[in-house]
Amino acid sequence: MNDRRNARPFRARAGGAVVCLVAVSLLAAACGGNRSTAKPADNGGGTTTPGGTTSSTIIDTSACPNGANDTTGVSGDTITIGTSLPLSGVYAAFVAIKNGEQAYFDYVNANGGVEVAGKKYKIKLKAMDDQYIASQTSTNVQNMLSANNVFALFNVVGTKNNLGIRDLINAQCVPDLFAASGATQWGNHSFPWLVGSELVPYPLEVKTFVEYLKKTKPNATIAVLKANDDFGQSYADTLNDLIKGTQLKVVKTQEYDNTGAEVKTQVQSLAATHADAFVVAAALLACPNALTAASDANWHPITYMSGTCVSKLLFDLAGKAADGVFTVTPLLDPADPGNADDPAMKLYTQQITKQFPSKTATTDPHEGIIAYGWTTAALLVKTLENAKALNRASVMESARALTDLSGVGLQLHDSKWNTNANDWFIGETYQFIKWDATAGHSVPVGPLTDEDGKTAEVTPGNLINLK
Amino acid sequence: MPRSQQRLLGLAVSVAVVAVLIVWFGWIFPTNYKSADTRLVAQAFYIGVAAMGLNILTGYNGQVSIGHGAFFGVGAYTTALLMDHEYTFLGITYGHVSFLGTLLPCAIVTFVIGALVGFPALRVKGLYLALVTLGLAVIFPDLATRFVKGTGGTSLVALTPTELAAPSWFADHFPSLSAQDQWAYTMCFALAIVGLVGVWVIARSRFGRSLIAVRDHEAAASSVGIDLARTKVLAFALSAMYAGIAGSLSVLVLFNASADKVETFQNSIEFLVALVIGGTATVIGPIIGGFAVVYIDKWTKDAFPSKPVLSPAIFGIALIVLMYVLPDGVVGGSRRLFAWSRRTLQTRRASPAAPATPATPASTR
Repeated sequence: MNDRRNARPFRARAGGAVVCLVAVSLLAAACGGNRSTAKPADNGGGTTTPGGTTSSTIIDTSACPNGANDTTGVSGDTITIGTSLPLSGVYAAFVAIKNGEQAYFDYVNANGGVEVAGKKYKIKLKAMDDQYIASQTSTNVQNMLSANNVFALFNVVGTKNNLGIRDLINAQCVPDLFAASGATQWGNHSFPWLVGSELVPYPLEVKTFVEYLKKTKPNATIAVLKANDDFGQSYADTLNDLIKGTQLKVVKTQEYDNTGAEVKTQVQSLAATHADAFVVAAALLACPNALTAASDANWHPITYMSGTCVSKLLFDLAGKAADGVFTVTPLLDPADPGNADDPAMKLYTQQITKQFPSKTATTDPHEGIIAYGWTTAALLVKTLENAKALNRASVMESARALTDLSGVGLQLHDSKWNTNANDWFIGETYQFIKWDATAGHSVPVGPLTDEDGKTAEVTPGNLINLK
Repeated sequence: MPRSQQRLLGLAVSVAVVAVLIVWFGWIFPTNYKSADTRLVAQAFYIGVAAMGLNILTGYNGQVSIGHGAFFGVGAYTTALLMDHEYTFLGITYGHVSFLGTLLPCAIVTFVIGALVGFPALRVKGLYLALVTLGLAVIFPDLATRFVKGTGGTSLVALTPTELAAPSWFADHFPSLSAQDQWAYTMCFALAIVGLVGVWVIARSRFGRSLIAVRDHEAAASSVGIDLARTKVLAFALSAMYAGIAGSLSVLVLFNASADKVETFQNSIEFLVALVIGGTATVIGPIIGGFAVVYIDKWTKDAFPSKPVLSPAIFGIALIVLMYVLPDGVVGGSRRLFAWSRRTLQTRRASPAAPATPATPASTR
C-alpha cells in the first residue's frame, strides 16, 4: 500500500514529461521555417512614380504603414493575390468562383502574364477557405497580411465577410478588389480601399423588379424571404423604400438563418398570404429551396430571385419550379446556346474545359458562377494593366477610375463599366432575365438596363454609410 | 535503484523537462518561428485553456457541457467590445481598455454567467444537462447578434492590428517579442501556464477532491458533508471563467470576436474533443488536446489542399482512430505505455517466467 503511494507521483510526473516531449517534437516537426523580421523589399527610394505629380484625389496614403509605394506581395515577376471564400461547408459550391478565377489567371500566365507599367508579371492566386463565416474570413485575411505575402485581396465572397475585414484593410492600405457582393456599403467613401465587383448592386436589382411590377401588375402584393444578415436586409430595406407612393404592398417578410439553407417553413408561411409577387433575397442553396417550397405549397407568384443565385446548378436544382423566375445578371449566360459562337464565350469554354477535363457541377462551363469568377479575374487583370505603377495605391486608383470598360471576360455586349471619384459601383449595366427551365438557360427580358451612377440615388437612407 | 533515489531522479527529470519547455515555448519558439506558426500554437494554447475549463466541469466534476462555445463567445465579446468602444455609464466614460485591462471584467462576467447557468444545472444531469448547455450555445449567437452592433456588420466585432498591438511597456522590455503575433502568443502562453497551475492547485485541493467525490458518487459525497450545490455551481462558474478567458485570448489571435452560430457550436465541440483527446481529469491533458485539435486540423487541410471538402472527413477519421488507439486520451495512453514499459523491465529483471501483473488504473482518475 505504502509502496504504491510513493511510486505514484513519480509515475505521473514522468508520464507528463513524456507527453510534453511528444508534443514538442510534434510541434518542431510541424513548423519549419525561421522567423524573418525583415520588411518586404522596397523597390527603389519611394519616388519611382512616373509623371511626377499624380492627382491622388481618392487614395490618401499619408497614414499608410508602408507609405505610398507599397509593393508587398510582388516578388520578382510574380504578383500574389489573396482571396478568402467558402470552399467547404454549406456554401462549398462557391468553389466554382475560384475555378473560374484560376482558369483565367492560368490563361493569362500562359500567354506571358499581365503587363503593368511596362513589365510583365505572372499572377499567383492564394485561396483560403472561410466556410462563409465572417470571423474566419477575418482570420484568413489577417494571416495573409501578417505573412506579408499578398499584394491585394481579390473577390472575397460575402457581404458580412467583407464588412468584417474592411477596417483592417483600410488601416493597412491593402486593396480589397471586387468584393463578391452587391452590397451598397461598398459606396461608403470612408473606406477607399474596398471596391465591389461587377455584381449588380442589390438596390438596382430591386428597382428593376419594382419597375417591372409597376408595368405588369401595379397593385401587386409582395412577399419577401430574406437572409438574416446585411445581405438580406439591403434587399428588404430598398424594397420598402422603393414601393413608397406606389400601389405595391409588402404583405409579409420572413427571415431565414443564413448558416443553413432551410427555408421551407418560412416559404410556407409566405405562401399562405397568396401574394402576387415573391422576392427571394437568399444565397446559394436557399434559392432553389425557396422556389421548390413555393411550388410545393402550390403558390406560383411572379418570383424575383437575387442575382447572386444566377447559376445553372441552382436553377436546375429547383427544376420546373424555377421556370419563369426573374433575376438580373451583368454577364452573358454561358448556358445559352445563342452565346456559343461569341468569341469571348468560345475562349472561356475552351479554357474551362482544358482546366477541368472532368465535368462536375462546379467545373461545368455552363455554370454561371464559374463565368462570374472568370470575368472578375479578367476585371482584375484589366485594372492591373491600367495602373500607372505596380504598387497598392496605384492599383487602387486604377480600380477607382475604370472608364468605359467593355469586353471584360463574359461582360454583356454593349455594357460599359465605369467608376470614378464619386461613383464607386461597377455592375450598373445589366440585363433583366427570366429562367427557361425547359431550355435550361436564361432568356433576356427587355433591353439592357443602364443605371450608371444611379446606385447612390436608389439606395434608401443611410444604407450606404451603414456600419 | 532504491526508491528514494528513484524519486529524486524523477523530480530532477521533471524539473528539467518543465524548464526546457518553458524556455522553448516562452522564448525560443516565438522569437524564431514565423507568425503563421506562432498563431497556430497560440490557438492551441487558448483552446487548451477552454478545454481546461471544461475539464474542471466534465473531467473532475462529471457534468457534461456542449455549450462552452457560448462562454467563450461571451469572453471574446467582452474583451472586443471593451477594447473597441467607449461607453458612458452613470457619468463615467470608459472604454478603449487595454487587453490586460479587459481580463478581469471578462473573468467576472463569465464567472457570474457560469454560476447562473450552474443553478438550473443542479436539477438535471447527464444527457439532459448536455441539452441545457446546448441551448446556451443556441441562445448566445442570437442574443449577441440582436443586441450588440459591432463594426463588422451583424455578428462580428473586428479589431485592427493597431488596437491589438503589444503595449509599449511590453515592447520596451521585450523588443524581440514586440510583434503583434508574438504579443498574442506570449499572452496565450502565459495565461495557459496560469490556467495550468490553477487546475493543478484545484485538483490537489479540498475543493478538487470534493469535485471528484461528487462526480463518483453524489450520495456518498453528500453524506460526508460535501455541499453538492455549492460544489457544482462553483465548478460551473470556474469552468465558464476559463472558457471566457480563452475567448479573450482568441481576440488577440483571430482579431475579432464572433457570434456566428456554426462557430459557437464548432468551438463547443472542439473543446470537448481537445479534452477527450488529451485526457479527461488530467492536468496537462487539455493543453495537449488543444495542440492535437489545431494540428490535426492543419494537417488534414494541408494533405489535400485542392479538396478542402475532404478535410473534415479526414479529421473525423483521425478522431475515430485516435479514440480507438487511445481511449483514455494522450495522457492516459502515455501513462499506460509508461506503466507497461516499467512492468516489462521489472519482470525481465526479476524472472522471465513471472506472471504479468494486471494493469493499474490511471492514478488521478
